[in-house]
Amino acid sequence: MPSVPELARVPVLVVGAGVSGLSCARALATAGRSPPVLDRARGVGGRCATRRVEDHPMDFGVTFLHGRDPEFLTALREVEATALPSWPTQVRGTGRPCQPAALSPAETRVAWTEGVSAFPRQLARGLELWLGANAARLEARAGGVAVRLENGAALEAATVVLAMAAEQLDGLLATLESEPELAAARAVLGLSRSEPCLALLALYPKDVPLPEWQLCLPEDSKVLQLASNESSKRRMPGPAVVYQAQAAWSRAHAEDRGWPRALLEEAGRVLGPWAAAPRIADAHRWDFARNGLAAELAGPMLLPLRGGGRVGLCGDRFGRGGGVEGAWLSGRALARRIVDEGS
Amino acid sequence: MSTETLPKDDALSQLVLRDQDHECEGFGPSKVCVRVVAVAALPTRFGPFRIVAFWNNRDGKEHVALVHGDVVGGAEVPVRLHSECLTGDVMGSLRCDCRDQLTEGLAAIRREQRGVLLYLRQEGRGIGLINKIRAYALQEQGLDTVEANLALGFRDDERDYAVAAHMLWSLQLRSIRLITNNPEKMRQLTQHGVNVAGRIPHVIPPNEHNRFYLETKARRSGHFIDLAELAPLAEAPRLMEQSDPVVVEGMPEPLPGK
Repeated sequence: MPSVPELARVPVLVVGAGVSGLSCARALATAGRSPPVLDRARGVGGRCATRRVEDHPMDFGVTFLHGRDPEFLTALREVEATALPSWPTQVRGTGRPCQPAALSPAETRVAWTEGVSAFPRQLARGLELWLGANAARLEARAGGVAVRLENGAALEAATVVLAMAAEQLDGLLATLESEPELAAARAVLGLSRSEPCLALLALYPKDVPLPEWQLCLPEDSKVLQLASNESSKRRMPGPAVVYQAQAAWSRAHAEDRGWPRALLEEAGRVLGPWAAAPRIADAHRWDFARNGLAAELAGPMLLPLRGGGRVGLCGDRFGRGGGVEGAWLSGRALARRIVDEGS
Repeated sequence: MSTETLPKDDALSQLVLRDQDHECEGFGPSKVCVRVVAVAALPTRFGPFRIVAFWNNRDGKEHVALVHGDVVGGAEVPVRLHSECLTGDVMGSLRCDCRDQLTEGLAAIRREQRGVLLYLRQEGRGIGLINKIRAYALQEQGLDTVEANLALGFRDDERDYAVAAHMLWSLQLRSIRLITNNPEKMRQLTQHGVNVAGRIPHVIPPNEHNRFYLETKARRSGHFIDLAELAPLAEAPRLMEQSDPVVVEGMPEPLPGK
């Protein structure tokens, strides 16, 4: 990070190195406007997240990718990692997946042995990344917008792209002085709430038999929405499962320190006693995991500010279909608008 | 039933059998493919039609065509595209002009020897209607910006003409005359492979609810009406639903090519 508090202005700056931000940056780079991409995390990918537990990758946000848009599918094929085509093929239970279309035959599915973060890492290649950079507020300037980081540094751009969950977007927009376009955008964002998700990464002793299923969607659990058999994606010394709780249950139990135990108990009820006794369990709370169907918007937003700067909004809420595909498409659609609509 | 009885196996009904196993590469970027799946007579208050139901491979929307006369294999067939609007078409909402545009579309086709009205269920995925009503609510709060409406899918002029193009191709229309006030629609359809031979202006008769359009100051020809200008005159704030500007009989019409 440069030590000077203010840096030269760039045409476009992207805040958020998740799939939508990277997709936007990549499309802008192709159009000759390579923007720097900031993220407060130390790695790229956002909710398309893979964590190493005892040095084995485990997908604890997005557990597999799916879609049908031809350009999105091309981007998936370009990922240089070991693909698991059509994962999951062995699904236990008839519960609802995160997006209704996820398991439909018309949808193409994929996961990777190295973890789903292989996708955002591929998107990030060749982009200028500023990781560990937390955007605290926005400041309107003449002909642009400045992003003030937590450490005091400021980066200014004619157009700033915010690529993150709706509540996080609203938080940043709220730091600007109100004007009609911003008020309207915040009203639109406020129309629905993102859904939280409590997740657990569990490793089991090696004498426990590996589950036969790759994905489990319990049809009758108010607690557990899905279980992903991570040990079916790569060789692991014993079973490894990621559990994700239902949205309503997650919202009710987010502050309850006993939630990991309660989630494991439900896993034991649904899958068998072995599931309730992992040797390691890492907990993760996603405050803004996904959007409900009624929250979807038609496309990204590009807000012209009175002072001449512009703020672009993209993410999984900004396109029909949601999910990783929706996020990726919204980033590209926003890039197209930024280029087509001047500056 | 009307006196216009048609043989059971006419060209239109035979499309159902023809399309039974139809599967093509699909139209447009999302490669949508449609099939004619059912044809029946539909007598209506606006005259007798045949209704043609289409299945598509992309979503559960059931688009239909209302057909007047003998169109299969025809050239220069008058065609009107209408996007579904529940509040306007069905409920007679005064917040849009859709019902007038729909009924006039059907009447226009009936006046010609033959014609097709495509009724596109584009208020779709269950979110279109919810978001439209959200847009109306934001409008009432004064938060009616272009970006907010675009985000809600309202006034989205980039409708998906690929489905319409495939429907017209399935009906084997060799060329069409498009009933529209928006030349851009002609360009979009042409880009999807439709042979657009000409344009028929879409003019709706004046009534007590749209008369205010006639009362505006003289317009520059070639520019569409600014609905914001008309707001104080209308009974209710409106949004343009059909991506086809309203032209009421008695108004100067926007020139083609603009």
